[in-house]
Order: sequence, then C-alpha cells, then structure tokens
Amino acid sequence: MDEEYEVIVLGTGLKECILSGLLSVDGVKVLHMDRNDYYGGESTSLNLNQLWKKFRGEEKAPEHLGASRDYNVDMMPKFMMGNGKLVRTLIHTDVTKYLSFKAVDGSYVFVKGKVQKVPATPMEALKSSLMGIFEKRRAGKFFSFVQEYDEKDPKTHDGMDLTRVTTKELIAKYGLDGNTIDFIGHAVALHTNDQHLDQPAFDTVMRMKLYAESLARFQGTSPYIYPLYGLGELPQAFARLSAVYGGTYMLNKPECKVEFDEGGKVIGVTSEGETAKCKKIVCDPSYLPNKVRKIGRVARAIAIMSHPIPNTNDSHSVQVIIPQKQLARKSDMYVFCCSYSHNVAPKGKFIAFVSTDAETDNPQTELKPGTDLLGPVDEIFFDMYDRYEPVNEPELDNCFISTSYDATTHFETTVADVLNMYTLITGKQLDLSVDLSAASAAEE
Amino acid sequence: MSDDDERGEEYLFKIVIIGDSAVGKSNLLTRYARNEFNPNSKATIGVEFQTQSMLIDGKEVKAQIWDTAGQERFRAVTSAYYRGAVGALVVYDITRSSTFENVGRWLDELNTHSDTTVAKMLIGNKCDLESIRAVSVEEGKSLAESEGLFFMETSALDSTNVKTAFEMVIREIYSNISRKQLNSDSYKEELTVNRVSLVKNENEGTKTFSCCSR
Repeated sequence: MDEEYEVIVLGTGLKECILSGLLSVDGVKVLHMDRNDYYGGESTSLNLNQLWKKFRGEEKAPEHLGASRDYNVDMMPKFMMGNGKLVRTLIHTDVTKYLSFKAVDGSYVFVKGKVQKVPATPMEALKSSLMGIFEKRRAGKFFSFVQEYDEKDPKTHDGMDLTRVTTKELIAKYGLDGNTIDFIGHAVALHTNDQHLDQPAFDTVMRMKLYAESLARFQGTSPYIYPLYGLGELPQAFARLSAVYGGTYMLNKPECKVEFDEGGKVIGVTSEGETAKCKKIVCDPSYLPNKVRKIGRVARAIAIMSHPIPNTNDSHSVQVIIPQKQLARKSDMYVFCCSYSHNVAPKGKFIAFVSTDAETDNPQTELKPGTDLLGPVDEIFFDMYDRYEPVNEPELDNCFISTSYDATTHFETTVADVLNMYTLITGKQLDLSVDLSAASAAEE
Repeated sequence: MSDDDERGEEYLFKIVIIGDSAVGKSNLLTRYARNEFNPNSKATIGVEFQTQSMLIDGKEVKAQIWDTAGQERFRAVTSAYYRGAVGALVVYDITRSSTFENVGRWLDELNTHSDTTVAKMLIGNKCDLESIRAVSVEEGKSLAESEGLFFMETSALDSTNVKTAFEMVIREIYSNISRKQLNSDSYKEELTVNRVSLVKNENEGTKTFSCCSR
C-alpha cells in the first residue's frame, strides 16, 4: 500500500465507482478503498443476514424468509430512466456487458385517494381515469405540445420562450386543474416539490420529454429499467471497469484517515499504519465529516412481502409517487416495489420501499400513507438517515466529495453530480451526447 | 434473446477463475483462449473475459470465461463477479503452499455468492516447476475429493492439461444443464419476461444460463 497514486477514492458507492472507472479509463493511477467488507457503501444491496444485522442487531434472519443470499435489498431504492444519464454512462463505458436489465412494469401516482396509472402520452391521457372528459382533452393537447417541442425549432414553440415563461403560466395556457398539475409535475416531470411552478418551464418540458422518450424506448409500461440482482450491481460493475483499466481495490480497510500538508492540501491516506500517497482524494461525505454539512434527512421503510402492491395490476416492479399536496406535505413520498423476478428475493417474495424527505422525527407515523398502500407485510423496518453536501473548496485542498444520494426516484441527479465532479477533477467534460445514437440504435 | 424455440440453438456458460494472486489465472485463460503465454505478465490489467466455443453433441457451446481483473490481490473480488457462474476453476500454485491453503477461503466466497455453479475444478498450476514443488499431487487430489471438485495439474507455460481442464468443466456444465433444463423451463420463462437489452446483442438467440438457471 506504500505506493503513490494520482487519485485515491474512498468509499465504493455508485458515484465513487463511476468516477473511479472513468478516471482509470483515462489512464489515471487509482487506488480505491472502502472501510466495509462489501461494495456499494450507502448504495449497496444487502442480503438478508446483513439486513437483519443492520436493523435488528442480530446476525441471523428467521428461516421462513428463505436463503439469505437470495435477497438483494437496495439501500438507496431508485429506478433508471430508460433514456437517462445513467443509461448513457453505462453505454459510454460499455459497462452494460456486466449487467442485465428488465423493464419496470408500472408507473403509478396517488391522486384523489387512489393509486392510478401515470399517463405520459396524448393517447394515454385520453384513456386515463385520472381525469374527466374535458380535462383529458386539455391534458392531451398539453402532452402533444410537449412531444412536438424542439428547442431548435421555433415553429414548435407556440410563440413562447420557455426559458422565460414559468411552468405555472404554461400550464395556465392549457387550463389544467390542480390534480393534473400535480401528477404532471411530480409523476411525469418527477419534481420533488412545487418550486418548479414558479421557475422557467423549459426544465419541466425537458423532463416530461425524457419520461415520454424513456417510456417509448423499451415499449414497456413504464419509463424505467432495473438491473437483475438489485442496484448494488451498479457500483460493482463500474468497480470492475476501473480494475480492468488498472485500478487497485482494497476492501475492509478501517479508518482510512486522510492526511494533509501544512497548507491544507491532501497528501495521502493512512490505514492500518500504512500511508498511500496521492495528489487528489475522491470520497463520499462519511470519509471527510469535517468538510461537509447536513442538508436534510430521509425517512424510509423497507418491507418484505408475499404479494405485489395492491391496485398496481399485479406488477412485479412498480413505482407509486404520492405528490406532496395529496398528503398536505412539503415533499413527495415514494413507494417502490421489486420482486423475485428481478432476483432480489426468493421465489414468491417482494421487497417494497417507502421513502421521503423527513419532516418529523417519527418515520413510522410519517410514512403511514405510503406503508398503508402495501397491504400486509411479512417484515418491515423503519429508519432515518442524514444527507450531506460538501462545503470545502476542491481547488484549495484537492478533495472532491460527493453529495449524499437524494430522495429522487431515479438517477438523473446522481449522474449529474458525478459528471460535475469529473469536470472538477480532470478539467474535462464527459460528452454523453455522442452516445445518443448508440442508445437509440438499441431500440428494438 | 428470448426466442428459445429457435432451431440451431446455442449455449453460453459463464465460468469464473479464482485463486490467489500470481498463481497463473490469466495465463491459463490466454493459453486456452489464444494459445499465448506471457512470462512477464504482472497483476492483471485489461483482461475482461474470453469467449471460447466447442462442439458437444453437434451443438455449439460457448464458454464465457471471466478473469478477476486483479481484484483478488487485496481480496476485493465483487460479489457480482460470481453472479450466475455455472462453472468455476479454483487455481493454486504447486510451488507455493500458501496458495493451496487459501483454496478453502475461495470456495467459501464462491459458495456465498453463487448457488448456480454446477461444475467446479481444482487446478494445481505451474506443474512444469517440478523441482521446486511444494504441494504434492496427492494433497491436491485428496482436497478435491473431500470438497467434491474435479482435479487436474496444469502448466500454462508448456500447455499441459490446459485445454483438457477447461473442456472437462464445459462438458460437465453442459450435461448438467441439459438434464436440469427439462424441469426448469417454466420458471426460467417467468424470469425472462420484460428483459431489455441496452446494446445490440451479438449473440441473439443464444441461451444464456448465466442468470436464468436459478
């Protein structure tokens, strides 16, 4: 370990592993360490015994739940947008060859006290039971405008400059009612709160297009895909990419103390009495607690069940978004479910998650509207965890710290953080647009 | 990749090679796949997996053989590496007894992460170095017997037994899978529903047993 590296990466969460992979491919000499004896950090997937140890403090789970290794329970439940940034990163790096994916069965929204399918195209809007007959036609027109909208073609702009017009003004033009605005903003554009209504509509329109294009891509019934064996496979796949390009991997390294010179610049990392020298550090917030600040808290529930979520057409994988307003909250609540058909549980078992930005200290009560949708559960765990963001200046200390994973339901913000860090570290932009053609070529 | 009924079907098996650093895992693989040997190869860099085909019962059987990419050096092989592996070669160096003593730990790791492995072989590599041998053939044999593994000594340097060892594992997988297949089709069908491909699949119509044979 007493060697010199250009970059030492601490923590094997998804963000750190993508960066490690990209840097190694660039020819950078990387050492990647984790204090845990498993990959994935906060974004790992746990087997049943690991899950019991974390939440119940016991080493062994009850036998009736099946074999421990048949479980891969995501600690950071999210789905991947079929046409999103993570998919493009996977294709760009060719990491797809280590992974298998399945389309997610269903995308639902909780509106007016009911779980209902999310319509995302003019056709679907007309069939949806979410809206009355006149509202459907208005929504259909709005979806058509979004589908046609092309940034570069003023003819499709309908006389509006979307970088100036707010989302509220755009929606007013189509005369949509409150519930429609709610499901479009939260379940299609996937905003986590209502701030977008007062911001330029461009972002919301692009998000709606991403949703619709992702939906069209695999001709599935949702815009999402999900890797077999759980999300914990993603960091491991990028770690393999890094290793194939010469990255050195060490797990189970206690302490991992970052060392600085008198000027405050990083010089290396010490673990078990040995110091590896480096020019730069890339890490998650837990490795440099003095250089981050708390920005929020997430409340979550993890349930093991023997049935799919009721009212979701028996979907083996599904997302249900509960917009804040439907519960008179400040932030949305998210319900996920996946099952044995994704190799994350033994045959017949389902894993469901409910999560939200915490507004109280009692996750059990706060998450009840979400857990009520699950029906009977075999086991359920509640907990809360803090979220952090860096406050250091990387140009002064050469430390590049990722932001904790947010409560969004997909990986768009995760990859945006990674791309931003990549630019800070290397001074280069990672161009993912070139892969668009490759991505669409894969449409079948 | 779902058209299982197509005629002229192919088989694709995932096989992993495990064992301590510098026992010759990569050289075994390149000797088998490309008939090459690099005496100066340091820790593995740039090796992914190699795909080799052989004919069994008139059917083309492909083996996708994975190398550890050097992650075994500090015992950081990913659990994903073992996913869906149907065959495994556990390699030690006959001139270094520590690599033989660690075989048990590698088997534990394999069993923790994979329940799909139907053919396992213990390999004592570098048998061309008879003069500095530290592990006897009998010791290798008896460990293999007690753990239920095939056993062979090989030399990636002079090619001894390399092809034989890989082909024995592939044949064993094939005969196991063909038998198992009769009973498992319905469950497998269920598991392949909604499968999506992010890239054009070169092996369209290929049966992948890497993740469907659970």
